Amino acid sequence: MRVKINGQEIEAAAGETILEAARRHDIPIPTLCYHAAFGGQGHCRLCLVEVAAQGDKRLVASCTYPITAEIEVSTSTPLIERLRGDIIRLLYRQAPGSELMQDLAREYGCLDEFITEDNREQERCILCRLCVNACTALGASAISAVLRGVDKKIATPYDEASEACLGCGACAHICPTGAIPLQDEGGNRTIWKRDFELLPCEVCGRPFITPEQRDYLIARQDDLDTGLLCDDCRRTRVARQMEPFR
Amino acid sequence: MAQKAIDPAVRILVCCGTGCIANGGLEVLAALRSGLAHRNDMEVESSDSALVTGCHGLCAQGPFVRILPQDITYCRVQAKDVEEIIAKTLEGGTLIKRLLFRDSQRKEFISCRQDIDFYRHQHKIALRNVGEINPDSLDEYMERGGYQALRKALEDMSPDQVIAEVTRSGLRGRGGGGFPTGRKWLSCAATADSPRYIVCNGDEGDPGAFMDESMMEGDPHSILEGMIICAYAIGASRGFIYVRDEYENSVRRLEKAIKDARARGFLGTDILGRSLDFDIEIVRGGGAFVCGEETALLRSIEGEAGEPRDKYIFPSEKGLWGQPTVINNVETWVNIPVIIVHGADSFASVGTESSKGTKVFSVVGKVLHTGLVEVPMGTTLRRIIFDIGGGVPRRRKFKAVQTGGPSGGCIPESGLDMPVDFDSLRQAGSMMGSGGMIVMDDRTCMVEIARYYTNFLAGESCGKCTPCREGLRSLLEVLTRICHGQGNPGDLDRLEEIGETMRLASLCGLGRTAANPVLSTLRYFRDEYRAHISQKRCPAGVCPELTELYIDAVLCNGCTLCVKYCPTRAISGQVRQVHVIDREKCIRCGECVSRCNQDAVLVR
Amino acid sequence: MTAELRKEETAEEFHKLIQGYPPEKRYIIPIMHELRRCYQYLPRPALEMLADHMQVPFSQVYGVATFYKAFSLVPKGRVNLKLCDGTTCHIKGSQGLIDEIYRTLGIRPGETTGDRQFSLETVNCIGACALAPALIVDEKVYAQVSNARLQEIIEQNRRGEDGTESN
Repeated sequence: MRVKINGQEIEAAAGETILEAARRHDIPIPTLCYHAAFGGQGHCRLCLVEVAAQGDKRLVASCTYPITAEIEVSTSTPLIERLRGDIIRLLYRQAPGSELMQDLAREYGCLDEFITEDNREQERCILCRLCVNACTALGASAISAVLRGVDKKIATPYDEASEACLGCGACAHICPTGAIPLQDEGGNRTIWKRDFELLPCEVCGRPFITPEQRDYLIARQDDLDTGLLCDDCRRTRVARQMEPFR
Repeated sequence: MAQKAIDPAVRILVCCGTGCIANGGLEVLAALRSGLAHRNDMEVESSDSALVTGCHGLCAQGPFVRILPQDITYCRVQAKDVEEIIAKTLEGGTLIKRLLFRDSQRKEFISCRQDIDFYRHQHKIALRNVGEINPDSLDEYMERGGYQALRKALEDMSPDQVIAEVTRSGLRGRGGGGFPTGRKWLSCAATADSPRYIVCNGDEGDPGAFMDESMMEGDPHSILEGMIICAYAIGASRGFIYVRDEYENSVRRLEKAIKDARARGFLGTDILGRSLDFDIEIVRGGGAFVCGEETALLRSIEGEAGEPRDKYIFPSEKGLWGQPTVINNVETWVNIPVIIVHGADSFASVGTESSKGTKVFSVVGKVLHTGLVEVPMGTTLRRIIFDIGGGVPRRRKFKAVQTGGPSGGCIPESGLDMPVDFDSLRQAGSMMGSGGMIVMDDRTCMVEIARYYTNFLAGESCGKCTPCREGLRSLLEVLTRICHGQGNPGDLDRLEEIGETMRLASLCGLGRTAANPVLSTLRYFRDEYRAHISQKRCPAGVCPELTELYIDAVLCNGCTLCVKYCPTRAISGQVRQVHVIDREKCIRCGECVSRCNQDAVLVR
Repeated sequence: MTAELRKEETAEEFHKLIQGYPPEKRYIIPIMHELRRCYQYLPRPALEMLADHMQVPFSQVYGVATFYKAFSLVPKGRVNLKLCDGTTCHIKGSQGLIDEIYRTLGIRPGETTGDRQFSLETVNCIGACALAPALIVDEKVYAQVSNARLQEIIEQNRRGEDGTESN
């Protein structure tokens, strides 16, 4: 299926989203809630683009809009840029504590806006829900989006330490704004109000995995017979195994 | 008084809509039944003559008792009045004046319903049975032509013909969007997928709207019949009625209607002996305004949080559990049997070029006759609010009418002569919504009203997409500041900017319209905003920080009425002497303003 | 229809209730409705059992429970005052009633008195706008409630049905 993005003709698969097609052809569209592993969610609305089809123009979220016809897409117009700036401004007001939002606000020229609501200075979450997706994809599903409207937040049930949590930290790693506190200290990890023990790497001795995550991986029959290796040591070993094939 | 036997043909209709029940309707019904049962000369079963009906519409005057065939309507009836009704009217054949409707403009008492202005100007199609039949009786529904449309569709029409007829009628969705119903059905029927589903949206979440409720509890079979006809047209096997959590009566009456329809073979397998299998179940909402949005409602039926999704693919192609689904609102379904029986042309003969048929409005707020009003599309707001609704009570001035629910807009006096239909309301910066109309008088502060709606929506937004969630948060912040007298000159432009972003960038219909209350009041009442910001004054005298009430020494006649009603005893003054408001004690509730017969309480 | 008698909050009762529904996701909300009818709130052990029964993560059940306004995660008082704060009721003075309830009982919307006698919640619109402001106590709708009437209603409900103090 041939579509035109910013005048450039590209080939797209039917049903593929505009964002995916654009990315494959290195056409940049800004996003905050998109991750290739989970697909489009349509949450942040930063990826708005203009679609022209049958003489009709409209704004759509490129991460959820499926290509089903030969359309023309503009990823940037003065209106789109104004809206993106305003979305950044709104998100910056929501999460002024996040460095990413500070940088983006600077880039879009809306940093000067004063924050009136008290006790929001520390807030970093922009509710992109990548953490929830990561936690669900890993199988733990310890966190979810709770409440609604302006009270919406990401939390464990009853805001308490969750039994389902494996302490893997995937949520904190994927978070674009550093909103999920993860503390590794002296062989212990604290995340979502729960304390975990950390087991050491068999090679370098660095504490890196919680027993809960290890048991979970074993139960899923992931390849652990090579031993408990941290990411660095595993990479080194794999590289060494590959050497004869070079 | 010469006592006569009660005419055995008498039928006494007692309104048992939610409004009348709250005012004692059930007690009136019980008193009537026991009163009639005690009359030995009654030739008929007492319970056959005192009948429950759905809403009569004029809720502020309830409970209603309507006596047929004489057609006498009594208002504000209480259980203690029943004995007198039986003795004087049923047996004695005389009217009880104090229970009659009093037309305050014409200054006369009216006994026959059709002579009351409120009813005279209405045109009932969707509400044709509401208030006329016992909603629990399938027989009464059938006596008034019920299920004839279904028979006609199944016996004389092909599914395509049914869809064509609905398309030709020009019926547009009554739930808010105004999407052509026929096109929705066609697009669903055109998919290759099955099973297909049918959903009735009865999640009437707009504060100030109760027309869907009145139909669900007053005429449930019409909804079922509309859905069954659609099932035949698009080939669906299962239907769901999603009823708002709070509507207990609706659930009960729909349950009974479904049971009766099954027993008579209108639901189930081989409906009317044809090879049509279709059944309906009720799903209770969880109390979320956003579930009025159709993709959110479908999520809710599936057992999830009601968060909408982008509608680039319509539910008619991928809806409930990913299957093709037709979802229409209660009032839309109720119109279907009429279109099939009387034909598309007859239906389309009422209304305007772009909006056919009638629309039910719930007219509430500062209006004399609050209640349900059904008028042809294209009727002016003035006719609805003044001729039918009786205008603004207590000699106050009309200021605005909010249409379309919380995410609708406020229309000022200059818009009163606008014919109401889907497109005219949108042009005026508001929308049809499901038909709520809230009338506001000059004691309503438009900034505070915008703040109220924004606050409502901030709690009711699903919170999924940025523009809606964060836009509402920012709007609310700015509006609250303005109401507290801390507004800045740049605020109005910022409000418009945020509103525009919400309108263009939000994910669903709720978010895209959520700034309407702010944008429409800014458009029509900008001066009122300016007064709050630059003069630190609330012209309507509502925002406490910006209001001072005082009594005009010349106008005050010292009647002490305000003293009596002041909740904080802030007013002092002797009879026939000028009264004074203590500024410290006054909470600016405005009770004195509305009570004063001399209009002597003024806003500084 | 008045609320069903409150059942005992035991695992057996929860089990009986939940097992009455097929383990399909779409029954999550109907089960929550029934829990609410029986207990006036959603007890945590019941929600955990519900998640097990449906084979869905507890976090997801919690997300659903907190999304909908009909469900409370904290116990309600013996008498639940449901005040309509829809538009009509709002412009006809429901805020004044909220303040009056606070002055009388010391509770705000969403709260329950210390003795678990009263709780207060606001609802958006009960569809009785002609009767604004409206208050619902145990399914009974009180119309055009004034502060004085409110006091009477609270007094009536302080006592049990037989007119005796029910503390």
